[in-house]
Amino acid sequence: MLSDADLGTLMARYQQGDSAAATALVHCLSPVLHRFFMVQCVSRRYADDLLQETWLRLHEVRQTYRPGEPVLPWLYALARHVRVDHYRRTRRVESREQQVEKLPEIPAGASRRTDRSPDLVELLAGLPESQREVVVMLKLSDMSLDEVARATSSSVGSVKQKAHRAYASLRQRLTGMGVSQVGPGDRHE
Amino acid sequence: MSERDIDDALRQAASAPDAMDPALLERISGSIRSSLAPVRPLPSAWLLVSGLFLICAAVALAGAAHLGLYGIHKLSGTEGALIFPALAIFTWAAALLAVGQMMPGSPRRLSPPSLLACGGLGLVAIFASLFHDYRIADRFVPQGVACLVAGLLHAVPAGLASWLLLRRGFAVNPVAAGLATGTLASLAGVTMLELHCPNLEALHVMFWHTAVIPLSALAGALLARLFARRR
Repeated sequence: MLSDADLGTLMARYQQGDSAAATALVHCLSPVLHRFFMVQCVSRRYADDLLQETWLRLHEVRQTYRPGEPVLPWLYALARHVRVDHYRRTRRVESREQQVEKLPEIPAGASRRTDRSPDLVELLAGLPESQREVVVMLKLSDMSLDEVARATSSSVGSVKQKAHRAYASLRQRLTGMGVSQVGPGDRHE
Repeated sequence: MSERDIDDALRQAASAPDAMDPALLERISGSIRSSLAPVRPLPSAWLLVSGLFLICAAVALAGAAHLGLYGIHKLSGTEGALIFPALAIFTWAAALLAVGQMMPGSPRRLSPPSLLACGGLGLVAIFASLFHDYRIADRFVPQGVACLVAGLLHAVPAGLASWLLLRRGFAVNPVAAGLATGTLASLAGVTMLELHCPNLEALHVMFWHTAVIPLSALAGALLARLFARRR
């Protein structure tokens, strides 16, 4: 992914109406957002929907990004908002729906292979949502504690606590899976 | 297992290609390009905070000047020197918070409910330390209600003007943003009351003047919730 300075430059150009910058941002940030939604949702379809919704919202409120500020906290704050909004809307609709007929059951294994990236999703599946998003931002998007705190509207202390708890759970989970250590050749620098 | 091992396990897991549908990316890019127009970024946070502060000060001064500056003439030097700087600090903090709520990804200094509680109780403590006349007058309720209504009526224009200034922002948490803006607007009302109201009975000031703050904050939060649901 591009550095924050490069993203900031692209954002500034996007605000000035540069379509090449807008396309570059969509291609650069969409995988990050998609991964964020994939670890929070059950299916790729939802993640795709949320990604589209996020871009629409982001486009509507692009003036709220201030040049010089980090891009990722702004982006994730909006993505979280879209996710929560979507979840509330879905719950409202589902609570009014009355199922008249049972749908045929789709074998879970088959949909798993095609619909999800199993490794990361399964690794983080046991964590509460708030810890999952902190791990994704902190460790996979390489954001600082302060940036994660900005994105999640919380304090740095709270982010640290969530990350600490998530790591304790992950340690237990990885040990249970028999992953005691990652070989030196497997390390990513 | 060390933290680094967990980091490596996470990176390995994330390195599995999450093939994104190129058609989806193209669709998103296309829809953005079709409505792409230059936009002016929001002004700096300090400019907006200063603007909100000036709005509240202007509403309070104009209101008090219109109704009569009886309160400030009745206050002693010490009382004025404590009350007005405290109100100014509270107003600045509320403005800072309201601006932060309208800019996604802003640093979080304090939550709006905490500001409301700390600021409200702080003001009550200041009033309690300055005013010691605890008699309850015969006209405690009618006088109090008149002050409460006047305070709330001054919070309305301050709230509207603040909303106008912040309308280009976006609240990721509309209720918190409404609460912050309602608190800010209420301070225009309280400041007006301190400038105007000559009744310095402790209970009158502590109860009726400060009651403007939670009521206005609540109204702000409810309105924001209503608008967010309609959106």
